[in-house]
Amino acid sequence: MSLRHVFESQPDRRYVMFGGKGGLGKTTLSATSAFWLARQGKRVLLFSVDPQASLSDIFQRDIFGKGPVPIMENLWAQEVDADRRIKDYQEEIRKKILDMYGFEKVPEEIDNYIAAASAEPAMEESAIFDAVVDIIVQGDYDYYIYDLVPLGHALYYLSMAKVYDEWINKITKLRADMGQYDQVAATMRREETVQEDAILSELIYIKERINASSRILTDKARTAFFFVVVPEEMIILDTKKAAELFAKFDVPLSGYIVNRVLPPDLGAGTIPPYLRNRIAMQKKYLDEIKGTFGHEVLAYVPEMERDVTGLGMIERLARRLFEEGS
Amino acid sequence: MADAAKPKKKGGILGVFKDIVYGMSSHEMTRHAVRTRASMEHLFILITMGDLLGVPILPPYYSLRLLPYVTPQIAGWKRRMLRERDVTDVLG
Ligand SMILES: Nc1ncnc2c1ncn2[C@@H]1O[C@H](COP(=O)(O)OP(=O)(O)O)[C@@H](O)[C@H]1O
Ligand SMILES: [Mg+2]
Repeated sequence: MSLRHVFESQPDRRYVMFGGKGGLGKTTLSATSAFWLARQGKRVLLFSVDPQASLSDIFQRDIFGKGPVPIMENLWAQEVDADRRIKDYQEEIRKKILDMYGFEKVPEEIDNYIAAASAEPAMEESAIFDAVVDIIVQGDYDYYIYDLVPLGHALYYLSMAKVYDEWINKITKLRADMGQYDQVAATMRREETVQEDAILSELIYIKERINASSRILTDKARTAFFFVVVPEEMIILDTKKAAELFAKFDVPLSGYIVNRVLPPDLGAGTIPPYLRNRIAMQKKYLDEIKGTFGHEVLAYVPEMERDVTGLGMIERLARRLFEEGS
Repeated sequence: MADAAKPKKKGGILGVFKDIVYGMSSHEMTRHAVRTRASMEHLFILITMGDLLGVPILPPYYSLRLLPYVTPQIAGWKRRMLRERDVTDVLG
């Protein structure tokens, strides 16, 4: 099995995520896969919620908070600006209150509440969550490649989808029950049927979106989740632990990608001792990776001679990864 | 058929409600429904706007989405607002 084979043999897996600790190569591999798929004629959206704007870095242009930006034919990249999104959202809510009640200004108590709610750390998390839901439920690209922030966040996101899902279901049910009592009271008073509950409609809207996104992200038929590892002792240990945790959250784990593998022919010539030593260490950990993850390893990605930034470098890595076999 | 003889089973909250209030006057029934509805409203506001009281339950992004609809219910504010309205009405 290779990464190319996974993409080619499972065309329904249109939602692709790369997970792993910071700095291992998630952004690099997301961009490289996105590039290759776009070259195969697929329409690809590569997106990230990383406030560090790592996609802007790798494509060497500022795309932060600008929506889906065309990078090349068939490839778009999007970086969510959570702060911006929260600010716009606050404004939207204020405006809605003014419109609904014909106020000149938002009542102070309500305004304070909006400000307080927005300052909570949970606001950023839930705003990011909603941004991802927004992107995922559109469905108009052939591939959605989610360049995840470090492991903890990925896990957090997926657990949140479950918790949100359950909560919204309960709240929606409560609201629906309330409507039934309204109905009873109205009937008794011989009134016309009560008007449609706007809150219930909102809740159903939220619920359906969260349901849809969490259904997609835990669906093995539609989603592929790749773990990025490097041949280093601590990383192997962490990855093992993380994989166990992910299994608990129904993450459809598709395989491992081993990044930053030193080319084997490097050891042939005369090389400095430190490099020889590094190659020897790598060999040891590569053996360990083979022993631990074995047939689930999809690719060994070579260490390039410099950082992977810019389309030229991405293209070179894509050729190594998808065309020359690894 | 035997089933046809049995009264049709009423499902959901409406059915339960009708059983409870059986025998009440229609005025009492209405009051009961309105009261139950009111206590549910409290529960609902608590759950959705919990962070107002320091108990965040619904993710804040979604709380805000519901805020416009419960704006009048937010305790204290409504009363004050009404009072101000009355004052301006009288003065106007
Ligand atoms: N195979 C590779 N060869 C050379 N440099 C790499 C390789 N993979 C990643 N890098 C570099 O390592 C750094 C971290 O990679 P990145 O993809 O940003 O990691 P992550 O997104 O997991 O934090 C970047 O500077 C990137 O260019
Ligand atoms: Mg990254």
